[in-house]
Amino acid sequence: MAVSRVLFAHASEAELARLFDFYRVDWQYEPRSFPIAWNEQGRPIEFFTPDFYLPEYDIYIEVTVAKPARNSRKNRKLRLLRSHHPRVNVKLFTRRDVERVFYRLKRAS
Amino acid sequence: MIGDPLFDSESIAGRVAAIAAAISHDYSGKRPLMIGLLTAAATFLADLSRAVTIPCDVDFMSVTSYGDREGIVLEQEASVPLEGRHVILVDDTVDTGLTLQYVVKRLLERAPASLAVCTLLDRPHRRIADIEIRYRAFEVPDVFVVGYGLDYLGRYRELPALYAHGTWPA
Repeated sequence: MAVSRVLFAHASEAELARLFDFYRVDWQYEPRSFPIAWNEQGRPIEFFTPDFYLPEYDIYIEVTVAKPARNSRKNRKLRLLRSHHPRVNVKLFTRRDVERVFYRLKRAS
Repeated sequence: MIGDPLFDSESIAGRVAAIAAAISHDYSGKRPLMIGLLTAAATFLADLSRAVTIPCDVDFMSVTSYGDREGIVLEQEASVPLEGRHVILVDDTVDTGLTLQYVVKRLLERAPASLAVCTLLDRPHRRIADIEIRYRAFEVPDVFVVGYGLDYLGRYRELPALYAHGTWPA
């Protein structure tokens, strides 16, 4: 997927997409929503949509730009996702993770 | 003033000796080729190559840094033939594993007899590419590390120990 064709919710997501492009890693942006809560009738009432899916690695990446203290809502969703979909491999990247990955890459030369 | 090291020079020397002993045992009767990824792995490789007790060869390679339009490519290839060689790729830090995986793929194209990965630092919590690391000196938490070849804006490579970001002045 081309970075220029996607409307990202946050600049950190676009930056991470460019990183995947740099490595020529195929990525998909928000390709799938997973139900994480159901009502009494068994209908899903809450979903979690990870930001990226990397088919080559069969891994979902969720990017959060909130400060760690404000990540409780996202962490709850991640816990529910892992609980209800244990075979789904999802990894949380914080803004600090993204920044540090990029710093390492830029200093590699 | 720099604070206490994350790993002091004695700890590093101890881990280098242990890895060198493992390599010397695992490659007994062979002549491995250790290839370091420039620039940060140079210090680690220099110490490691002098600590092994078997004959070995040393070479370096490098990849383009992020920001190049064409994406990652090898900037400097290993300068010797790899076909049939037992290659040990020596990196400074394995993080997402994406750089390492790219380099491993390129090396495997040159048909080495075997290929193992050795890293000074392993930071597994951001791993994306599942790379097998045979030798690792230290697993580190989510801290930025300088010293012993690793830099911050080109500085601190010369320090004999490894320091976490924040233990030295801004």
